[in-house]
Amino acid sequence: MPDRSASRGGALARAKGKDRGPLREFLAFKLGGEIYAIEIHRIGAILKVPPITPVPRAPEGVMGIISVRGKVVAVIDLRVKLQLPRLALSRQSRILFVPVDDGETVGLFVEEVLQVYRLSTDEIEPPGNALGSDAGEHVIGLGRQQGALIVLMDLTSILKRREAS
Amino acid sequence: MTDIGDKAREDFFSEAQEIIESLSRDLLLLDTAAHSGAVDPDLVNEVFRHVHTLKGLSGLFNATRLGTLSHELENLLDDLRMGRVQLSGDLLDLLFRAVEMYGRLLAAEKGGEQAAGVDEFDPFMLEIQKSGTRRAVQSPTLAYDLDPGMLAVLTEYEEHRLRNNIQRGLKLYRVRVVFDLATIDAGLESLKSRLKALGEILTYLPTGTGADAESIEIDILLASHESLDSLKAAIEAQGIRIDEVPKRATEGPGPSPDRMHSELAPESIAIASVAPEAPLKSSSDMPMQHKSLSDRAVAVRGPDASLRSVAQTVRVDIQKLDHLMSLLGEMAILKGMLGRLADKTRHEPGQRETASELARLHHTFDRQLSAMQGGILEVRMVPLGQVFEKLARVVRQLSRELDKDANLIITGAETEVDKLIVEDLSDPLMHMVRNALDHGIEARQERAKVGKPAVATIALNAFQKGNQVVVEVEDDGRGVDDHALVKAALSSGILSPEEAQEISRHDALGLLFMPGVTTRKDVGKHSGRGVGMDVVKTNIARLGGVVDAQSEPGIGTKFTITLPITLAIIGALLVDVAGGIFAVPLSSVQEAVTVDPSSVRLIEGREVVTLRGESLPLCRLDVAFQVRDVEESLARPGKMVIVIASASARRCGFVVDRILGRQDIVIKALGGPLKALRGFAGATELGDERVGLVIDTPFLIEEALAVSTRAGVVAHA
Repeated sequence: MPDRSASRGGALARAKGKDRGPLREFLAFKLGGEIYAIEIHRIGAILKVPPITPVPRAPEGVMGIISVRGKVVAVIDLRVKLQLPRLALSRQSRILFVPVDDGETVGLFVEEVLQVYRLSTDEIEPPGNALGSDAGEHVIGLGRQQGALIVLMDLTSILKRREAS
Repeated sequence: MTDIGDKAREDFFSEAQEIIESLSRDLLLLDTAAHSGAVDPDLVNEVFRHVHTLKGLSGLFNATRLGTLSHELENLLDDLRMGRVQLSGDLLDLLFRAVEMYGRLLAAEKGGEQAAGVDEFDPFMLEIQKSGTRRAVQSPTLAYDLDPGMLAVLTEYEEHRLRNNIQRGLKLYRVRVVFDLATIDAGLESLKSRLKALGEILTYLPTGTGADAESIEIDILLASHESLDSLKAAIEAQGIRIDEVPKRATEGPGPSPDRMHSELAPESIAIASVAPEAPLKSSSDMPMQHKSLSDRAVAVRGPDASLRSVAQTVRVDIQKLDHLMSLLGEMAILKGMLGRLADKTRHEPGQRETASELARLHHTFDRQLSAMQGGILEVRMVPLGQVFEKLARVVRQLSRELDKDANLIITGAETEVDKLIVEDLSDPLMHMVRNALDHGIEARQERAKVGKPAVATIALNAFQKGNQVVVEVEDDGRGVDDHALVKAALSSGILSPEEAQEISRHDALGLLFMPGVTTRKDVGKHSGRGVGMDVVKTNIARLGGVVDAQSEPGIGTKFTITLPITLAIIGALLVDVAGGIFAVPLSSVQEAVTVDPSSVRLIEGREVVTLRGESLPLCRLDVAFQVRDVEESLARPGKMVIVIASASARRCGFVVDRILGRQDIVIKALGGPLKALRGFAGATELGDERVGLVIDTPFLIEEALAVSTRAGVVAHA
């Protein structure tokens, strides 16, 4: 299922110039109406949103559980952590599956999957003070593509924080 | 070791583990035999053989320390086999410690790192070497007129067995048989098995004389209690001749019998007294003196040395079985869909034939699926004896360390439980057994003072009860001092003074499972830090089980663990709570009833209904799950639907919206950010992509009845 967006990103990268140094691939998606991205190699699969079963007493930010290929996976709503407005579920909404330690997988809810960006290291700006302090901790840097600003998230950091809290 | 495949290494570990377990089992038998005074030499041989196999395996996998340990043990056991060292309590101790060492070395090998206790390795090796200090071997002072030619070819082991049998006053017979070369394999085997019933075969050798080219004559030296006549009656046939080996005229006093000195056994015991079978020797270390014996005959000698594995078994990773179970769960969902389709079709006009066809298919599918489910479950089942054996070792070791005599009595070792449950049960059980020995059982003097038998009893009982398994750990020690428990709980703030006043004895015993409650002043090496029983309880709860304590001061303590037989697939009652589907394991459901809200009374701020004269505390699941607040829940019209659940003699009525029906479910663990969530045992697929949460009944009951939440539910009402 990541195919469509991946090929789009691939075509994009081919259309663009070469010789920009080592490239990192990021999958961009919308959260709270803004564009965020995570490194694509961390993503195992992208699925349409199945019915999510809410879990009583679950920590805040856990939307509930879903069943995927015989596994029960917890779905995390990053907007809670990032203090972003929660837009309603739409037909564009997706769940990104991210394998974490011990063979477990968590699902990340996103409002819409956009495209794959290939950014060379010099296209990534360090996270300045522009962002709020809370979100800033989970950001690798900022990517700029055709005038758009993409927030590159540090997935390890944001998931770890979740478990600690 | 990089050149050896992971698969092969895995096999090595599991095989080594199995051998170590067998070794441990046989050592326990040996220990029991040493107590009773009748040590079967074959048992010693069996122990020797395990170590020998381990040595071979270790060599193959380049596990140096495992190999060294096996090598040293092999020497020691060889000395034991030959009667060069005595089987003493200390020697058994050493052997049991070797089993522990094997376990640690294996773990270190597996983890590729230094495991705890492996640094004791070198001193331990020295200790083994020292224990093997050899006695001078007595030259056989045989009072029998044996053919010197025959004596010359006896191996050391055979000589030892010969002496041992003579000392025990058995008669020696020489059985001379002529076999046809073509049928010697079968003929010799059958004769051997008949002779074994009559005595011990000390050796057998071809005579090398008197036979033609097509046949071979064999001399068998047999030690037996039987008289010559009865032997003749039993085995004499064509081509078999039996003579008694005459005693020499100059019969002197024989050497003093082999004795074992043991602290465990009050009286000395001869090592070998029953020896129904021939010495077990692999053919490789049995040099054949007579060249005339064909290779075939050599093969006959060591039937146990065959390369074929004896057991027709496969080792399977439990995760593969989990996967099968998961697939089965999905098939069960398909079955449900098929059933619904069959129902729907029935009401369609003109579809009568298809409907009955579908119904038949559904029925057959259902039957096959249950059979398959039963089959997979059966594969997962292992006898509890696997854990009990480890515990026997713990009891033995600890009773020596604590200088307390204790007998471990095991019943129901054959009771079968899911492999995963057995694995996770061993730590809690070990803890309980240690507790029983350390805290429960009194010191020797104390027992003598109150007139209890010097040897204490710890009983492990297992039995099946419905679809649950009960494991009891019972001791005849001093019992639990509930007053001291209450005092301890009071001082650590777990109980308020008023609660301490009112607490019942059963509830006081429940304090045993609270973290930080101990009545013990001195913290022992083995237990007594007040952590432990709470961990035991948590671990057992994780398996879907409950643990309960009963105790009589001065008489003893009994812990009862009730466990589901399997967690892989369970029957569950599906209920609707505020639109969410939840599964209540059937093993904890007593019944479901509806009651009129007006019959609910408030007792100490808790909702209670009286059913058939018994009061039942209620727990509104919608409120407990925070999907409705108390007002909303109370405002619901109509009768209340109550699922009566129980866990370890405590009952609670779960108030739900609706009962949806019964279903077999496969429980999936909640992971990731939900790992620490309490109140749910997991989740299960319900079909149509829906997921239901499985209720952790013991936890919710306890929570509902907990003192601290007493005011919770109805405070607002």
